[in-house]
Amino acid sequence: MRSQAMFFQRRAGEALADPRLQKNFAGLKDKFVGMRARAVANYENDFEELRDAGQAIRDRVIDNLDVWLELFEEKATARGATVLWARDGSEICEHVIAIAQRHGVTKVTKSKSMLSEEAQLNAALAAAGIQPVETDLGEYILQIADNEPPSHIIAPAAHKNLDEVADLFAATHQQPRKTEIPALTREAREVLREHFLSADMGISGGNFLIAETGSVVLVTNEGNGRMVTTLPKVHVVITGIEKIVPTLADFATLMRLLPRSATGQEISNYVSVCTGTKGEADADGPEHTYFVLVDNGRAGLVGSEFQAMLRCIRCGACMNHCPVYQTVGGHAYGWVYPGPMGAVLTSLYTGIENALDLPHASTLCNQCGVVCPVKIPLPELLRKLRERQTERGLRPWSERLALSVWSRLAQRPALYALATKLGVRYLNWLASGRDRIAVLGVAPGWTAGRDFPAPQGRTFKELYSSRQEQKA
Amino acid sequence: MSSRDDILSRVRANLGVAAGDEARRAAARAVLETPAIGPRPSLPDDLAARFRMKAEAMASTVDRVATPAEVPAAVARYLAERGLPARAACWPALAGLDWAAAGIDVAARAANGDDPVGITGCFCAIAETGTLLLASGPQTAATTSLLPETHIAVVPVSRIVPAMEEGFALLRAEQGFDLPRAVNFVSGPSRTGDIEQTIVIGAHGPYRVHLILVGDA
Repeated sequence: MRSQAMFFQRRAGEALADPRLQKNFAGLKDKFVGMRARAVANYENDFEELRDAGQAIRDRVIDNLDVWLELFEEKATARGATVLWARDGSEICEHVIAIAQRHGVTKVTKSKSMLSEEAQLNAALAAAGIQPVETDLGEYILQIADNEPPSHIIAPAAHKNLDEVADLFAATHQQPRKTEIPALTREAREVLREHFLSADMGISGGNFLIAETGSVVLVTNEGNGRMVTTLPKVHVVITGIEKIVPTLADFATLMRLLPRSATGQEISNYVSVCTGTKGEADADGPEHTYFVLVDNGRAGLVGSEFQAMLRCIRCGACMNHCPVYQTVGGHAYGWVYPGPMGAVLTSLYTGIENALDLPHASTLCNQCGVVCPVKIPLPELLRKLRERQTERGLRPWSERLALSVWSRLAQRPALYALATKLGVRYLNWLASGRDRIAVLGVAPGWTAGRDFPAPQGRTFKELYSSRQEQKA
Repeated sequence: MSSRDDILSRVRANLGVAAGDEARRAAARAVLETPAIGPRPSLPDDLAARFRMKAEAMASTVDRVATPAEVPAAVARYLAERGLPARAACWPALAGLDWAAAGIDVAARAANGDDPVGITGCFCAIAETGTLLLASGPQTAATTSLLPETHIAVVPVSRIVPAMEEGFALLRAEQGFDLPRAVNFVSGPSRTGDIEQTIVIGAHGPYRVHLILVGDA
């Protein structure tokens, strides 16, 4: 997907001015945040201990990623799967199209795969004459909405409300317009069931790859992950190289973290551990299984100060809890991944210079860091990205000038005292007796959507020195 | 350089390690040979009661009978109560039960898109989360628990284990080290919350999951 991350400010402004979008995201916040809190409170042991274990499992893999990739490859190959590697999105598309052509595939059903968004795979498939059908209900809604991008990693159509979905279905399916969510869900089930039964190839992402067994794990609630790995004769798994976990026991531990953090469930409805291909006598399953292991920027994070980001298990908790995401939604971030994890990944995968606003789209309140199931220090990573921007001279001249003025002042106490004193007088003059300032003369943008509080009394330094005098 | 070698060599360069380091491989293999069990929730002693409570929390319905012979009547009762068709596909291992006497038309084969009801057993069941562990194989089609709108599973109480860890251990003890092609953990009927985060039961998989526990209380 081509990044629009440079337009964060404009897109965030549009989102703020769209009352329908504001309403849709308010619901998201209430539901996901509350459900996670309940699930964590109900866990019959120490959830922090579980987070520590999750972090340790992910770190063990990333610290020896080359070895774990080779072990996974050996085991998966021994079980009859074919392991392919892709440096970037265009290599993903080349592999998938070549596989489809080798097996005479004209239609593929897809379970949710964020990597296929990174690669713009659907457009490449369509251009090669292969019909891609998204089967996650949210992704399907976006596909028939002229291929809109997802706005949340686990609730991709969170920005659409019932009315919009009803209109889309009526227009696309040529059936009477339905207005109840269960009826719309059944209509999608019936339309997509035909595709499940007739597609020759299934494409899925992978929540985890297990090195011990050469397996891919798919976690879904709808059952589409099971469909695309059971019915078609070819199954293609597209995952990032960082998705490996060593053992089945490690996977069991991470499964206690993922659904609780994502949807507030103790377990998702379907957790499928798929290994190899259909056995000779097996009743069902794919005859051909392919893994496409993707770099697309990930190898560059290994060994860097941003390595902790590779622990991410894509639960979405950081965005659910982020006051910025809750307010502007997912599309403002401009690429595949929104919210705090998206701000970090977009900067690192598409280039720091191409996502200048994203590390600043955060109050650094650390809600994201507190809820992350694998303890990624997201605010710290965002701060490091800000430092990299400054080092590379990527910040605007006005900001650089302001900061250099401030740093000169801060190093000269007498001058600093004078400046704050003058500043307070200026603000008091602006407030002219009221306790709020409606338009901040030197920085009117700050007061465009809020008032600035008028200073109350003297400056800190003045108060401090008068206290010292009283003591003496 | 192939994509594979390119990616691996970049990972190694960033980690500051060389290719073919046998000590690091041996350390990784040691992790595989003695997998560490992570932290887990504390479970009550009565696994069957725990399983039932959690299964119901995931919107499964649960019945209990004393012997396998009572299963067809329990299935018939469940279908009649809900006005569902008395016609099903079942795993071959269950074909020996007297379905005809209970008035149910049962075919011992993998389910297809037209079967209203699929009847399966389970490899074992997980008390922690109220979950079925279904292992695919020649006699245990994955489609039977997936395509029909109603899935009925027969769960011997003796096959309820505490958690996923014990489920995998049992699989390896009985079927060998390599996993079957698909191990499906199923917890209740399919659902989606993709429209306005409103949970709807019945997405692509079954609308109803009914569990029949078999064994003495």
